[in-house]
Order: sequence, then structure tokens, then C-alpha cells
Amino acid sequence: MNAKRITALAAVTALALGVAACGGDDEGGEGGAGKTLNVLIGANTQYPDEFQAWQKDISTKFKAATGAEVKFETFASANDELTKIQTSVVSGSGPDVYAVGTTFTPTAYSTGAFVKMGDEEWSKIGGKEKFNPATLGISGPDEQNQVGIPWVSRPFVMAYNTELLKAAGIDKPATTWDELTAQAKQLTKGDQYGLAIAYKDNFDPWKFVWGMSTQAGNPLVDGKTAKLTDPAVQKAYQTYFGWLANDKVVDPAAIGWTNPQALAAFAEGKTGYFLLTTTTANNSLEQGAVKGKWKFALLPTVPPGATSRPANGVEAASILSGDNLLVADYSKNKDLAFEYVKLVTDQEAQLDYYKKFGNLPANAAALQTLASDEQLEPVTEAAKKSVATPFTGAWADIQLALTNVAVQTLPELTKGPLNTGQLDSRIAEAQKSAQSSLDRAK
Amino acid sequence: MATLAPPEQKAPPRPVRRKGVTEQQRPLWLLTPGGLLMTVVIVLPLILALWISLIDLDQYTLRRWVEAPFIGLNNYVESFSSGLLNSIWISVSFAVISTVATVPIGIAAALVTQNKYRGRGLVRAVFLIPYVLPSFVVASVWRTMLQPDGIVNAWLSKVGIDGGLWLSGPRSYWTLILVEIWAAWPFIYLMALAALQSVDHEVHEASAVDGATWWPKLRRVILPYLRGPVLLACLLATLNHINNFTLPFVLFGAPAPEDVNVMPMIVYVTSFQSLRFGLSAAMAVLSLILIAIPLFIYLRAVRLDVHDEGGRK
Repeated sequence: MNAKRITALAAVTALALGVAACGGDDEGGEGGAGKTLNVLIGANTQYPDEFQAWQKDISTKFKAATGAEVKFETFASANDELTKIQTSVVSGSGPDVYAVGTTFTPTAYSTGAFVKMGDEEWSKIGGKEKFNPATLGISGPDEQNQVGIPWVSRPFVMAYNTELLKAAGIDKPATTWDELTAQAKQLTKGDQYGLAIAYKDNFDPWKFVWGMSTQAGNPLVDGKTAKLTDPAVQKAYQTYFGWLANDKVVDPAAIGWTNPQALAAFAEGKTGYFLLTTTTANNSLEQGAVKGKWKFALLPTVPPGATSRPANGVEAASILSGDNLLVADYSKNKDLAFEYVKLVTDQEAQLDYYKKFGNLPANAAALQTLASDEQLEPVTEAAKKSVATPFTGAWADIQLALTNVAVQTLPELTKGPLNTGQLDSRIAEAQKSAQSSLDRAK
Repeated sequence: MATLAPPEQKAPPRPVRRKGVTEQQRPLWLLTPGGLLMTVVIVLPLILALWISLIDLDQYTLRRWVEAPFIGLNNYVESFSSGLLNSIWISVSFAVISTVATVPIGIAAALVTQNKYRGRGLVRAVFLIPYVLPSFVVASVWRTMLQPDGIVNAWLSKVGIDGGLWLSGPRSYWTLILVEIWAAWPFIYLMALAALQSVDHEVHEASAVDGATWWPKLRRVILPYLRGPVLLACLLATLNHINNFTLPFVLFGAPAPEDVNVMPMIVYVTSFQSLRFGLSAAMAVLSLILIAIPLFIYLRAVRLDVHDEGGRK
């Protein structure tokens, strides 16, 4: 894609309006028979065959229940998804149901193109009560304005190498960030490192910064004000970069790692902790040298530099991560759409989806049945202790600004102790961009 | 009716009139399908992009984009304060350096494969590999090789050099140029080779008869033949470098290090991550204009058109 094509794409997006105005509606008529429901969902590249089978299975069940067909359309990347949403929003036609990532829900909400869930709508899908309450945290700006229906959770936890911890005389995983740093130092010797961290990942860095800062009582956004220059944010960045630059408890190569690369490094069995992972990593871990020697644990919930959480600190074990389902406002098949949502959020379907793909249920009863699984216990706990990132249309930009600080700071991490002056000026720049985005938010 | 007049009456103006008639009677309507297609594919999107660059179109106004507030040139003003100038500088310098570096490599490769020898076909095929590989593959492979613990640094450390970071910080700029050169030189090679093939056999014979040794022959006889095609290749290559999005995107990801925040990247991030469609359209339009100006001057100067008429136009 080049500059010209991007321009053209933007223009064509707009052109779609004219084209769609001439186009027909979605399949009309009463009763499910003969109708088709269009569902947009992310492609599963990890388990493509199982994903195909799952789609077929759901189609059959949906047809049996309603007489209508489900047509799945997949998108390969967040960018594809966004383009699809843009064209559909502009043209007022397209998929009836969208599966979108939790952090993307505020952006989707800000387009105003999705059905707000009232009592009637919730009851159509089996009631709001059937969901794990934490998962509803990013469905809308407040209870009266919810658009996102929780579908699956992917709460973040850390994985640790049981053997290495035992050998270092550590009897239980850290619960505060300071304790984690101390343990990482204990674990680092020779070619063995305390932590595996994906510094070059395009998403991981902001999750750390948001988490530590929220635990210290600053969730980064207060109404229409960005609070990135707060000392809590500074401390978060210093801790995060400090592991590599000052404490030297991370493999220097981690400066080039994305999340899957950090996972692969941990799976080799020479690292104490892998921070920020989730149940979808199970297979990779079980196939690596670390097989049978790893466990999940809750990420620390006490901010760096403290031994207990301050009074206004939040016990944020993970960002509220996973997928929400959204029903398009323009859909002519809203009732069918709700039938579909009900089907895939029911206990049985949720457990089946977990078994196939490792995504935790958003359905509370289904989640409860997994609580007895010892390996999974920290993850289900993280699902309950997940906290939503600020619900604002500006979040995408804030996320970008936070990540940008990390991207631009990377080269300095190899040069020894962190230059805090430079870091502060980068944070100030991020603050400016976050605030300008919040000012535009409607 | 005038054409039916007796030939002896107005003999001299006849050819002129004939010409006028044929020009008028050209079946220009046959161009309609092409013209329509051009309008739909190029002109309309361009007009829309211009319009979008003048309105405040973002995620909040997308749904009713027709009603998005008209803000005149505000997007253009904001473009300049959002780092577009820096991106243009990076893009242009990167493109020019890449082109300048690929020309000698391309011409040398073309000369090497000009004369017949055993295995020439194989060499020619091998030379084309970087060019036929998709940009995405090239970038992924280089990204893997240039990891801090990748194969490049492993080799460098064997000879006692600390490779350091290739994909972050100031050096990323040179990484981008290096990979671009690797992937793009066969284009110059192909164009130079085509030009070499068109050099008449007599020219070679004549220089042999005159007793020209290889260097004077190359400099005074062969290279002048290459001038036109290679200049054209330089122009096209530079434009390709400027518009290359895949390479920096896959090599460095988004957000990119400041040193490789090329124009397509900044437009992409503004459009698809910040969701400021109006602003990104203004950036794209500005980029288009800024590239078009030197391009226009250059095209006038080198007169790539071979026909006089085309040149004058």
C-alpha cells in the first residue's frame, strides 16, 4: 500500500455511500427461514481447521434454532476489520454482527453505528446476569449506554518456570512489582534471565504502563484530561525499561522481541518469568523445553516502589481483554442477530470455544466450571480482576502515544542506565498528543 | 460538401483541409469507456480525497460524513505541525540515496550479463530474485536477520564487530536504505540491460575497428546509449521508493522509529490508528503536490518523450 493508495482507499470508503445507496437491503421477510445473518469475525491463524469446524457447527445449530443461515466473514488484521467497519458504517450496510477486540470497543462506540443494549435487548440474549460482571466493564461509557456484549476473555497473566524458581529458592511467584524485580535479579545468572519481555511489541508496552499506573491510582484518563505526566506513569516507564537498562534481568535481545518471540524464548526454559501472556499460549508452552515445568500466576497488583496498594489504587490484574460482539444499528436482522449472540454466549457454546481455542468464557457459569482447574485458576482470577481501559474514543490515540514512547526509547536501553530526562520529554510529548485527542472526543 | 468540389478549383489548400477533416472525424467517442474508467478510478477518488482533506472527518463524524464540518485548510495547517515536513524529508532523502546507490550496481550487473558466456542465463535469473520476491517477504526475512540476536549480528561478532540495533534508533534509516537497495537494484539492471540490447552491432564493430579499449568504449560509446533509459529508470525507481509502504511497515512496525517515519507511514498511522481521515487526506494531498512539483520540472528538463509533439505538451 502506498500513499496514493491510502488516499484512494479513504476516498473509496466514502464512495461506498453512493454505491450502497443503490444496493438492496439484507434479506428481508418474517421468520428465520430463507434469511442469512452476516457475522464478521477475526480469522484464527493458530487453529484454522478447528475454526472452520466451529463455524460449521455454529451454522448448523443456528439453522436448527432459527431456520436462518449464518455467513461468516473473517478479517486477517485489525486494519482489515477497521476498514470493514468504516465502509459498513458509511454505507449503512454490511455485517449484522461484529466481533471486535475490547480495546477497540470505545472506538466502535464513538461511530454510533451499533445497537445500544436496553433491558429488552439484554433479555433477548439471556440476560445481562449471565456474564462475568468484570467483562461488562468495557461494553459502553456507562450502564445506560452499552453496545458491547462480552463474548470471550483473554485476561493477561504471567507464566513462570517452576524449576528455575525452585532452584533460586523462591517458593512463590511475586505479587508486587518490586518483589518481581528482586526475584528476577536472583534468577539472572550466566545465560539464564529473570524476565522475558517483548519490548518491540506494538501493544505490550502500553499494557504495562497502564497497569502499573492504574494500580498506583492513576488510570491515565480523568474525564477529558490526560494524565500521562503523572509521577506514576514516569515510575511505570522507569520500571519497565529499568529491567533491561539498569537491572539487566532481561536478555538484551529482548529489545527486538514481539510477544510471540518472547514466548518462544521463555519456552526454551532459560527464563524465570514471561510477563503478559494468556491461555492461548498453552500449546506453545507445552511443546517447548519448558513442558510440564511452568505455571500461570497473577501479574503483580501492587505498583512499583510500594509494598501495598495506595488507597486510590485499583487491583488491576489485567486489562479487560478479549472480544465483544456488536450488533449493527443498520441491520435488518436484529432479532436474528440477538439469537446468534445468545447462541454463542450460552454456557455450552462458551465452554466448547474455550476447549477449541483457549479463549476464556465471558459467561459466568461457564467460567465457574473452569475454576476447579488448578492450572487455570490464576487466569480465571485475572478474568475477574480485569479492569477496563478508559472508555473514550481517544483511547486508540493514547495507546499509540504510550507505545511510541517505548519505540523511541528502545535504542537507549542498550547504552546502560536510563536517561530519565529524555524519557520525561517523550512522556510530555505523549501527553500532548493524548490531550489533543481527548479534546476532540465527542 | 466542400470535399466534393472540383479538384482543380482549390488545389493547394486541399491537404490542409483533408487533415482538418480527419482530425475532426477522429472517432474520439471510442475513448469513452477508457475515459469513464479513468474518471471512476482516478478522478473521482482524487476529488473525494480533496474534499475529505477539507472536512473534519474522523471516527465521530464518519457515520454522517456528508455532514462532517467543513474546516477549510485547517487540516493542511495541522499537517505541518504533525511532523509531515520531517517525513517528507526522510522519504525524499531515502528515495534519492536508494536510487543513486542502485544505479551503478544495476549498470554493472547489466554489463556483466551483456556478453554471452556459459551460465549467463542462470546469472540473469539469480539477479532477478530480489526483484520478484514480494516486498512483504523481503522485509520479513531481513527483519529476522537483523534482530539483535539475529544472523547478521552473529556474523559481525565473529569478526569482532558489535552489530548493535538495526531496527531501532538512528540506524534504522540506513537499514531501510540497505534493504531497499537490495530489493530494488534489479529494476535498474533490467532497464540498463534492455538499453544495452538495443545498441547496434555496428557500434561495437566500429569501436573495435577504431581500436578502442574497454574503458573508453564503455564511457564514450556505450554509456551514452544508456542515458535515456537509465534516467527514466531513476525517475520511476525514486517514485517507487517514496511510495514504498510495505517495507518500512513490516521492517519496523507502527508506530515506527522517528528516523524511518516515512510519508506513507505517517499517512497510514494518522488514518488507520488515529482515525483522522481528514487530516490524513490532507497529508496525502500535500505529499502528492510536493512530489509532483519536482517531478514536473524534471520531466520538462529531460524530455523523456521522444516525439517533438509529446515534448512540447
